[in-house]
Amino acid sequence: MKSENKRSVLVGIFILVGILLFVGGVLTLGGKQKRFVKTITLTAIFDNIGGLQTGSNIWYSGVKIGTVKKIKFTGNSQVEVTLNIEEESQKFIGRDSKARLSSDGLIGNKIIEIYNGNPRNGIVEDGDQLHVEKALSTEDMMKTLQENNKNLLGITSDFKLLSLKIKRGEGTIGAFLSDSLLAEHFKSIVSNLQMASTNTNNVTQQVSKFASKLNNKSGLANQLLTDTAVFRNLKTSVAELHKATTSAALLSENLKNVSNRLDDKNNAIGVLLNDPEAAATLKGTLGNLETSTKKLDENMEALQHNFLLRGFFKKKAKQQLKDSLAVSQK
Amino acid sequence: MSSPNGNLNPKTRKYFISRRVDSIFISLHDVYQFIIRFFKEAALPPYELKELSRQCYEVGYRSLPLISLTGFITGFVFTNQSRPSLSEFGATSWLPSLISIAVVRALAPLVTALIAAGKVGSNMGAELGSMKVTEQIDAMEVSATNPFKFLVVTRVMATTFMIPLLVVYTAMVGLLGSYLSVHANEQTSWPAFFTQVFESISFLDLFSTMIKSTIFGFTIGLVGCYQGYNSSKGTEGVGRAANSAVVAAMFLIFIEEIIIVQIVNAIRIA
Repeated sequence: MKSENKRSVLVGIFILVGILLFVGGVLTLGGKQKRFVKTITLTAIFDNIGGLQTGSNIWYSGVKIGTVKKIKFTGNSQVEVTLNIEEESQKFIGRDSKARLSSDGLIGNKIIEIYNGNPRNGIVEDGDQLHVEKALSTEDMMKTLQENNKNLLGITSDFKLLSLKIKRGEGTIGAFLSDSLLAEHFKSIVSNLQMASTNTNNVTQQVSKFASKLNNKSGLANQLLTDTAVFRNLKTSVAELHKATTSAALLSENLKNVSNRLDDKNNAIGVLLNDPEAAATLKGTLGNLETSTKKLDENMEALQHNFLLRGFFKKKAKQQLKDSLAVSQK
Repeated sequence: MSSPNGNLNPKTRKYFISRRVDSIFISLHDVYQFIIRFFKEAALPPYELKELSRQCYEVGYRSLPLISLTGFITGFVFTNQSRPSLSEFGATSWLPSLISIAVVRALAPLVTALIAAGKVGSNMGAELGSMKVTEQIDAMEVSATNPFKFLVVTRVMATTFMIPLLVVYTAMVGLLGSYLSVHANEQTSWPAFFTQVFESISFLDLFSTMIKSTIFGFTIGLVGCYQGYNSSKGTEGVGRAANSAVVAAMFLIFIEEIIIVQIVNAIRIA
């Protein structure tokens, strides 16, 4: 009885685990295929779907957002493809999005790619039809490739001709390769170039030295470039200088005014400088003054000899003599 | 006009067409009767649940180690053998998809059914055959136990229920073996492998596999029991019953596989 119980339990566990695995598989599959996700339906009309199948994937920006639901003929032998798109992705797909046929990998399955939409221009709604752009088919690619091949052939045959000419020494390159004189010239050009490069090297070394000096911390240039205090001082100095030049300008303006006024006759100095009449009068006055002073001198002389004042003058002469003696003794 | 039985009178002649052709049709009729009887007995009470549980244990649980090992090796080897042809295109990254489709659609049910036919089918044929030979079945009838219900119905039901479960295990273990190989050679991570596996199969694959394995299970049980239950007398009959249980079951499994694949592909395209 005990072993029978154990057997039943084992069978139960076996069945349960098996069913769990199966259900897990179903749910995972449903999750991967978005079977249990809310979807919206869009349509697109293609001229040629190139073997697209029901259930093929739909990509938007490289992300799988749905599957192809239905494929049917419509109108003028065109194909209408119904797309199941996850409702979650709806808000990212603009109304102006386009659909095109593509494949995941070079030889991969056919897929539909939705691209180029801007959700700001409104998002797609259930039942909308997407614009379709013709995708490059393998034949188109082959066509282009064939064109490329032809071009390549042309290019290589041109090159063949060119190399033949070069070999024969025709043209500049041919001459260059075969002419020994040209080679000599070239050699000298190269040696000159070498010299020039040596010189340039020297110059750059010097420049580098100069630059390192400039970089020297105590140098003015460096301070100018790095020390903010110096710069500030310089700035204030310049400001001061600016002030000084402003006042100098003011001064010169004043001076100009003064000289202008000197040229004028309506002031005293102007008259003195410019009026010949006044000058003559002044001259006369001065002559009169000279004669008056001469006469005054005579009067004074006469006064010295006057008895009333003679004593004073004698006393003064004595005092002067005394002073001069003291000076000479010293 | 002469006939093989030498008698033109339909009322008195011994065989309808010929002995061999007649025996084929007779055995077909017997099988038909057997199946009808199975469904009738399975539907009507009393139900032999304890015996059913024992048979489930024998068929399901006891076969698990063998089936798991076979499934693992199948997945591993199939991956290794498929790699060279895919690497010619530089498409080894598609190995998980390939393996997933191969294992889920075909390998898991087939391998499981064939192994079970060998292990369980032959066991049933031999067991019931020897019971028949030693007249245990007749004894059961005498003792008021319905031998068909007790022996046949429980066994056929056990295989019908257990083979699909074993297929699930085999598929899982096979994919695990495949993952080990893919991981060792292509450094594919488990999530990437897992995603690719489930991207390449569909619900149709899953359900067709389940239905297929149920039919396989039913076939294995039915053939095993039929051969055992109807085995001829003697020890030779037991051996023949066991042998023909396996051979007929395997043959029928392949026939069913072809038919089911055709039907599923028709549904897939539609």
